[in-house]
Amino acid sequence: MTTITTDDPAPALRASPWSRLSDRLNPILVREVQQAIKGRVFPLTVFATLVVCVSIALFAASRHSEGADGRGAFYAGLATLVPLVIFIVPMHAYQSMRTELKGGIVEQLLLSRLTPGAVLFGKLQTAMVQFVLYVSVLAPLLATTYLLRGVDLPTILLSLGFAMVLCLAATAFAVSSAAQAIVPALQGVASLGIALGLGIATFGLIGFVLSGTYAMAIGALLRSGHLWPAVSALVLLAAYVTVLSWLAARSFLVHAFENKSTGFRVFLFVAPVFAYAWMLLAIELRYWSEVFAGMTFGMTLIGVCFGAFMVTEQRGLSPRVRAHAPAAPALALPATVLLPGRDRGLLCYTVYAVALLLVGMLGWPAWGSSTEAKLLGRSGLMVLVYGLVYLSIGRWLRGRLADNLQGNHIARVMLPLLLFLCIVLPVVFDLLVSDRVRGWHLGHVMNPFWTIDQFVGDRWPRAVPVLIAVAVLMFVLQLPIAGRALREVTAAIAARRARAAGGATAAAAARAEE
Amino acid sequence: MSGSLLEVQNLDRSYGKVHAVRDLSFTMQRGQITGFVGPNGAGKTTTMRIAATLDVPDGGDVRIDGVSVLVEPRLARLKIGYMADQFHPYPNLDVLQYLDFFARAYGLRGDRRRRTVRSVAEFCGLVEFADRPATGLSKGMGQRLHLAKTLLHDPQLLILDEPAAGLDPRARIEFRALLKELAAAGKGVLISSHILPELGEMCDSVVVIERGQRIVAGTIAEIQRHQELEQAVVARTIGDAAPLQRFLLTQPHVGEVAIDGARLRFAFGGDDEALAGLLAAVVQQGLPIVEFARAEADLEDIFLKTTKGRLQ
Repeated sequence: MTTITTDDPAPALRASPWSRLSDRLNPILVREVQQAIKGRVFPLTVFATLVVCVSIALFAASRHSEGADGRGAFYAGLATLVPLVIFIVPMHAYQSMRTELKGGIVEQLLLSRLTPGAVLFGKLQTAMVQFVLYVSVLAPLLATTYLLRGVDLPTILLSLGFAMVLCLAATAFAVSSAAQAIVPALQGVASLGIALGLGIATFGLIGFVLSGTYAMAIGALLRSGHLWPAVSALVLLAAYVTVLSWLAARSFLVHAFENKSTGFRVFLFVAPVFAYAWMLLAIELRYWSEVFAGMTFGMTLIGVCFGAFMVTEQRGLSPRVRAHAPAAPALALPATVLLPGRDRGLLCYTVYAVALLLVGMLGWPAWGSSTEAKLLGRSGLMVLVYGLVYLSIGRWLRGRLADNLQGNHIARVMLPLLLFLCIVLPVVFDLLVSDRVRGWHLGHVMNPFWTIDQFVGDRWPRAVPVLIAVAVLMFVLQLPIAGRALREVTAAIAARRARAAGGATAAAAARAEE
Repeated sequence: MSGSLLEVQNLDRSYGKVHAVRDLSFTMQRGQITGFVGPNGAGKTTTMRIAATLDVPDGGDVRIDGVSVLVEPRLARLKIGYMADQFHPYPNLDVLQYLDFFARAYGLRGDRRRRTVRSVAEFCGLVEFADRPATGLSKGMGQRLHLAKTLLHDPQLLILDEPAAGLDPRARIEFRALLKELAAAGKGVLISSHILPELGEMCDSVVVIERGQRIVAGTIAEIQRHQELEQAVVARTIGDAAPLQRFLLTQPHVGEVAIDGARLRFAFGGDDEALAGLLAAVVQQGLPIVEFARAEADLEDIFLKTTKGRLQ
């Protein structure tokens, strides 16, 4: 732009070492630091933390002359750290995101080279800088408690590690909640949810630390030899929360009204891989049976939850998603499972259920020997089939509603409501007819909890043929739906190829003209 | 690249039952300022947001310098600068820090970033406000800062949604001068505004839409011709204008004649030759005429003539 170019560097921004270093950092982090330095809230919080730490240190020093060790002071310091990293830091990220959303600033950011992921990552980096700062304020106190004895180095390091992981996950959750508030209807819910969630977590953790339960738990963990499984599980869970938060933030920040769930579907298939890998790496062989069964069962429940969202989407692909359909026809099948749309959502759940079933069958001969594992396996199987039934109904219900975002929300309320009614109505009917709730009968067949409880034990052989019949029926009913979903994707692929061919022809024509 | 800078092709966008934009098509060229005009709720902001890759159409496409906003939104973003109708700067940042942050967000690094921030601030007249808090600027200076942020990555097309709303006359004149300078530098400017006289002064062409549909598009002169708008003629006499009015009413092609003191404004349906004949006739009658000229129809006339004020 010739009209506005000059060679003089701005005096106020002359290249300082900080400026050069900051070139390598996320712009969000740089800006948040600049704002924090100019603002009042952050210095005041740091000052207040410092005052609390000095007070605790002085109190601990006075108690030390009476023979007390540093354990009390350490846990008091930890209890000071909890609200900072579980409430203040995430709420700061939440408020920062809300400010950006309110003023439409986030749209301006997304018009730049920053992606939603970079925005979220910048917020997480800011949270980590704040975490390090607060820990450094607490560091003299922690060092004092170590010197006063009663607390060993692994306990201190482990506690700080847990605090960091929780801070990261809570911040990711907070930013994601703020991003969801881009939809006006969700603003109140998001603010209330985040304040309540972080508040409850903070008070719960403070209570956990100050009651001494944390001290006992961490002592037992360090002595038991289960440190690695516990730490790795916590890190894995935090990673899941962070990735899910990123996906949620991304889907709300970019074209909030567009139907797009591919990221979540990929996550649904990838998350179990990491979970099983964690089991293989971190869990001792003797516990594999229970852990495998428990994890597989958990994944069936997670699959149903994801499925409830997938089958209540709008049906078609948006023009933007259509424009980005894969170019290779060979990718039509995987794309049909992963691209948005409720028909493809039901197919995605079915493929997930079949994959989980195969994994379960592969692992069962080796790990399904214990009774608990067997019961969990049977329950999981029934959950998968119930999932298929309820999600098919959910997809049908969604089809009766308007093909917009409000329709999605209404269907997502109606589906759990339907489950609730299927549980409650037969019970009410029993009460009205016979004044009491009799045992399980066919009227309760749509109550998954009671039915599963009835049939996973001795009556399992009677349930198996019914389960197979229902699964096959649902599968057959789904074939035309899957066909339609596939046709839409193949049409999008064909359109993209035609466009590419047209572009190549135009380019060749332009070259020939030149 | 040759061809149009902006091509809106059969654009459709609905929000539930409301069709915000229906089958809208128009183009604009480099170095042009195009006014985007329509009543409230006509679909201007929706169209602009789709062109800025911030919304997704239900059908159709928008191409920025040949790049589809649907197929290559990231590439399209590098070619556009979008200025929304509202400006909310970050708290606790001064003007240069604000620009510096967005320069970083646009991937500018090192000396290039510093130079760009400086030059954009100079261009928009922000240097003397460099260390002022961005939230403490007047409305006019805030809009300049908003524009400066929009220019950081040197976009080819500026999409400005109501940029002059709330500005005082001086700020508006200065802002208009900035836009003309940008157009002279070869950038395309698509601007929506309800201040039609101002748009009429700066725009090379206009697109008028109503209820999401294009009503008319082209230069003001083209639209006049196309709409067969009766052109007005203004005349001034020495003393009483009533004799001139009586005479004019007897002449061919002359429509309604309105008197405003010594001035007359009358509708004239004839061509330039007929107008010259009319002037000769007036002089021959010995009427003391000192001013006689066509008054070109302005954007307001076009807007009122072409739109019906229907809401959706």
